[in-house]
Amino acid sequence: MTIVITTLASLAILLALFWLLFGRPAAEPASSIDALEIEKLLPLHCRHFAQIVQILGEEDHQFISKRAPRHVERQWRAERRRILRQYLDGLGQDFGQLGRLARLIAALSPEVRKTQEWEWMWLGVQFRLLYRMVGLRIAFGSFAPNELARLAEMVAGVAGELKTRMSLIAAPLPSRLGMNVSD
Amino acid sequence: MGLSLFQSSQWAASFLIEVLILALALRRRVFRQLPFFTAYLGLLVTSEVARWLAFEFTGINSTISFGTYWTTQGILLLARAAVVYELCQVSLSLYAGIWRLCRPFLIALAVILVAGAEVSTGFSVHQLAATILTAERGLELTVVGILILGLAFCRYYRIGIQRHVAWIALGLGFYSAVQVANNSFLQDTVLANFPIWEMLRLVSFNIATVFWLVAVWKPLPALRPAPVLLARGEYDRLAPQMTVRLRELNTRLLEMWK
Repeated sequence: MTIVITTLASLAILLALFWLLFGRPAAEPASSIDALEIEKLLPLHCRHFAQIVQILGEEDHQFISKRAPRHVERQWRAERRRILRQYLDGLGQDFGQLGRLARLIAALSPEVRKTQEWEWMWLGVQFRLLYRMVGLRIAFGSFAPNELARLAEMVAGVAGELKTRMSLIAAPLPSRLGMNVSD
Repeated sequence: MGLSLFQSSQWAASFLIEVLILALALRRRVFRQLPFFTAYLGLLVTSEVARWLAFEFTGINSTISFGTYWTTQGILLLARAAVVYELCQVSLSLYAGIWRLCRPFLIALAVILVAGAEVSTGFSVHQLAATILTAERGLELTVVGILILGLAFCRYYRIGIQRHVAWIALGLGFYSAVQVANNSFLQDTVLANFPIWEMLRLVSFNIATVFWLVAVWKPLPALRPAPVLLARGEYDRLAPQMTVRLRELNTRLLEMWK
């Protein structure tokens, strides 16, 4: 039994090692906040929510179910699910970008708090799990667009605030950030 | 009884590779960036000479050879642990906040794993060799555990690992991971009779040395410039805002799920 466990553990360790060392390379954090292209890190997809709401409007649903033949309605529903799925993927990417920004702030901070970092990591894990489950709901067709709207508002809110805060930090550079590591 | 012709040839080949790596490391001035790794290479060559002398003059099954082998093995293992810590430090210390965050975790993990190794060795009712193998397995697990945790920090914070550091880490991790499994095979009364496990130990070490050779083959890249850090207090100003928003986002997503 010990042999089986240790062999599996060794294989898992080797796989983890290869992935950590040679997995899809992660872009290094910028060497300073002013070198960052903050725009690239801010959420994009949630900005298009108005168009999505228009596409997924309830009036269209009522119209299609009353007027269109059954097969057309099925196609329309499938297409609606596809758009929702794509939009949810976009929101996931947005959240990922925000997470990246949070980690970047931590990486470029001379001091970070353990509890804070742990909480951000935990929030990321929670979001990813929920995101998968919501994805499943969309796949099974039991998800309303107005619920997605709430999610989009949240991401957009975080984005707006971060943008303001980052520009406040970056404004007086480099005098305000001229601090080197000494460890 | 000394070494057989095959064992002598294999030992000579391994020894030559180790000397070559040490020579290249000294030529590339690796000691400026990685002093512990350079010292480890020096220890490796020295211990090979010590083992060869013991095996050749007292016989491979003598008590002196046994003592020499396991003493040098213990020293090398400790040196490998120091190298792993050094690799984590080299990769993370430019990011002061992250390094301060990571260091206690590395130390805590090392303490836990060493204590675990100590406990499992204490419970071992086997003969001396089996007890040593249990201890070695626990310590190898410590080495590779520290390495993986350090690399996970690098990955999470997207801190790039320099090419030579990656190859050295791969060599250390690969050897330790193989030894964790190998030591379990060697403790099994039936499986231990097959010579393949001892061969696996040697071959895995030779593979590790090839990785280290790759690491020092080319001149080392220049040291990375230190990043310009945020002013003290910026993190404290930014973090709560982001946390509140991210928490809300998760709560909302949770509501949607319900």
